[in-house]
Amino acid sequence: MGKKRRGPTLDELLARPWCYYCERDFDDLKILTLHQKAKHFKCERCHRKLNTAGGLSVHMSQVHKEQLTEIENALPNRSGLDVEIFGMEGVPEDVLQAHNQRVATQYHQSEAERQAVTGNPPAGSGGSGPAHKKPKLEDLSDIKARLAAHRAKRAEGATGGSSREMTPIGTGQSTSTPTNSNAQPAASISPAPQQQPPVAQTYPQPYGAPPIPAASPYSLASPVYPALSPAAVSPYAPPSAGTPVAYAAAPPGAVPYPPPGYPSHVYPAQPTTIPPGSPSGSYPLPTVPTPDPNNQVRPGSLPALSGLPQRPSFAAPALNMQQMQQMHMGHPAPSSTSPEHANGDATQAPSHVASSVDELISSAAKEAAASEKPTKKEKSKNIRMVYSDENISPEEKMAKLPRYAFSRKAFQQETALGEVPGSIVVGTIRDQDTVVDPAQ
Amino acid sequence: MSSNQYTLASPPTDAISALKFSPDPNSTRLVVSSWDKNVYLYDLRDENGAVGEGKLLQTFEHRAPVLDVCFGENENEIYTAGLDWDVRKIDLNTAEQTVLSSHEAGVRSVVYSREHNLVISGSWDSTLHVHRPDAGANTQSVPATIPLPSKPFSLSLTATKLVVAMASRALHIYDLKGLALLTAQADGDTVEGNRVELEPWQRRESSLKFMTRCVACMPDDAGYASSSIEGRVAVEWFDPSPESQARKYAFKCHRQTAEDGVDVVYPVNALAFHPVFGTFASGGGDGVVALWDGISKRRIRQYQKYPSSVAALGFSGNGKYLAIAISPGFEDGKEDISDGVVRIMVKELGETEAKAKGAK
Repeated sequence: MGKKRRGPTLDELLARPWCYYCERDFDDLKILTLHQKAKHFKCERCHRKLNTAGGLSVHMSQVHKEQLTEIENALPNRSGLDVEIFGMEGVPEDVLQAHNQRVATQYHQSEAERQAVTGNPPAGSGGSGPAHKKPKLEDLSDIKARLAAHRAKRAEGATGGSSREMTPIGTGQSTSTPTNSNAQPAASISPAPQQQPPVAQTYPQPYGAPPIPAASPYSLASPVYPALSPAAVSPYAPPSAGTPVAYAAAPPGAVPYPPPGYPSHVYPAQPTTIPPGSPSGSYPLPTVPTPDPNNQVRPGSLPALSGLPQRPSFAAPALNMQQMQQMHMGHPAPSSTSPEHANGDATQAPSHVASSVDELISSAAKEAAASEKPTKKEKSKNIRMVYSDENISPEEKMAKLPRYAFSRKAFQQETALGEVPGSIVVGTIRDQDTVVDPAQ
Repeated sequence: MSSNQYTLASPPTDAISALKFSPDPNSTRLVVSSWDKNVYLYDLRDENGAVGEGKLLQTFEHRAPVLDVCFGENENEIYTAGLDWDVRKIDLNTAEQTVLSSHEAGVRSVVYSREHNLVISGSWDSTLHVHRPDAGANTQSVPATIPLPSKPFSLSLTATKLVVAMASRALHIYDLKGLALLTAQADGDTVEGNRVELEPWQRRESSLKFMTRCVACMPDDAGYASSSIEGRVAVEWFDPSPESQARKYAFKCHRQTAEDGVDVVYPVNALAFHPVFGTFASGGGDGVVALWDGISKRRIRQYQKYPSSVAALGFSGNGKYLAIAISPGFEDGKEDISDGVVRIMVKELGETEAKAKGAK
């Protein structure tokens, strides 16, 4: 039972002692009484802490000759003196009920929110647990099967097929592949010396090996792909198209192309004692891809079945894939753990397993989004302003009421105020007269 | 809890528009202006000087509802502003009323600067009138008229500055010294149409997104607080330096969550700074009065809800009393006001009741 325990249960929450006056809850009764003494039963004049409201009342009247009228720091409806509270004692039944109700609703609400966000089943609900677990178990075997099928299909389809499957850009890719393959050797021959500084920097670094002649990484790289492609086509086909583009077009562009991943794929599989000078021939490249199909499955779910050293070699292509895609298509590959998901979605109708997983994820996301949006809306909606006129102040509104209507003219006649400019006043007075008359 | 609270006898018969204590520390007088066309003068002390229940000393009838009132040079002099477009001076001893000037619309607010001996009134005709009451004695003084971009809703001043909160969320801060100089000059220049274009010391836009309801300046002349119809209070500083401006903030208050989860937002009708501690009180349409520490950004306390809207608040000159004017229908102009709902509560504050507790 390695299950992480999160949050208190409802029962625990309900059992917590809480303060009648301010509805705060506490870890235990002792702290509650201390809180009440400090916050609610403290004498304002001499800071003496009394035990109860009654005690404080007596103290106030005897010592300070004052009448205690309300409890300090209390909620507006709880500040009365009529209830004698000590700790949890004396809390009226209806208030207690209301509190429990409130705690319970709060608990359920937060629970529901959390569920919506995490997509987890409600804690301890046995019914839905297995329902969720089963498809997950199916996932594994299905993924394996699907992967195998997919791989076979890919192998058949070779590079052209794969690029067609990937995206609409596929056409552009397929056309670019030949040119790239052309460019690659070209790069290794003539432009290489020019580009050497940047390239050499990006390349040798990850190797961690003694400095290699700039030509060697290229000659290394190019054989690697063809050698890999027949066996582990799918993940590598796009890279083979991609690498040259990155290198030939923009040397700095090579930076996102993960140097650590790329070479690590080739090298860690190899004994590190390779003489830097000997390039392609010595690599037992066909052997490298063979563990790959197995490895491909592994990251998806199975954690540590085989030897550790090979894991990085496989994690690298997965990274490559995503970043390649990002480079080529302008959007990141779906961030699912195994590349198969992305491929599966793009190539064939997703199997029910994949879809069920996807649905789970998307529905959880939707729920989360849905639960978030209304709360945001509620926040803006659920405010009701008592006075919402932005331009006319309450006083001005009141002044317009007939009973407050004031006619300056009428008073002018009585009190004979001479200096008021006539024209302006006359205009307004007519208005006011019409208002006043119906009132009269 | 500990504060003694009592209701002043013989309150106004209609909604209260303003309530002011005499700024004199030894005075316990307060004036209240009302929509029932009267200004009420109360004193918390009885004839023997003992502070008791407080009693009504006098009423001063006006021609129209009175919208604002303030004390003048001493506790025997008040200025009033009202719907009859007039700004008046009333001598409390003789009950003599003098019209200082007439606006071209209802006069919303009037303030008096003791330091510069100026009476400034703001009217819905979008002007300020700046009066020099001492000059008014010898000549037929015409007040300087300062045009404003919008209707002023609230005025507040410190020893050196005047803050005018207007419609369209505009806010002007004037330097009182310049204002005094300019009006003194202008007074000599022309007799009629004494219109003065005065560039404010600072033009600001309200930090609040909704209509400004009230503005109140800190007693230490450092800044001001403003409130809006949307349950919010902003605290800002005069100092235009970026450091000081970075200190400004706003917070929500005077809101209630109804049963259906709707947040009911009340306008914050009144703000008043404590003259000694520099804390401030806010009163809202929800009938709640809360004390805030503007420096440490904490609420000091919140008092029990009153049955209707808090229309005005005032601390006494020595800061020992807080008067709360309660009247319904201030926001929506409710038709009838039944007896007993318009009330003036006076709280006798404990030694440290309104004192900032300091940051924890």
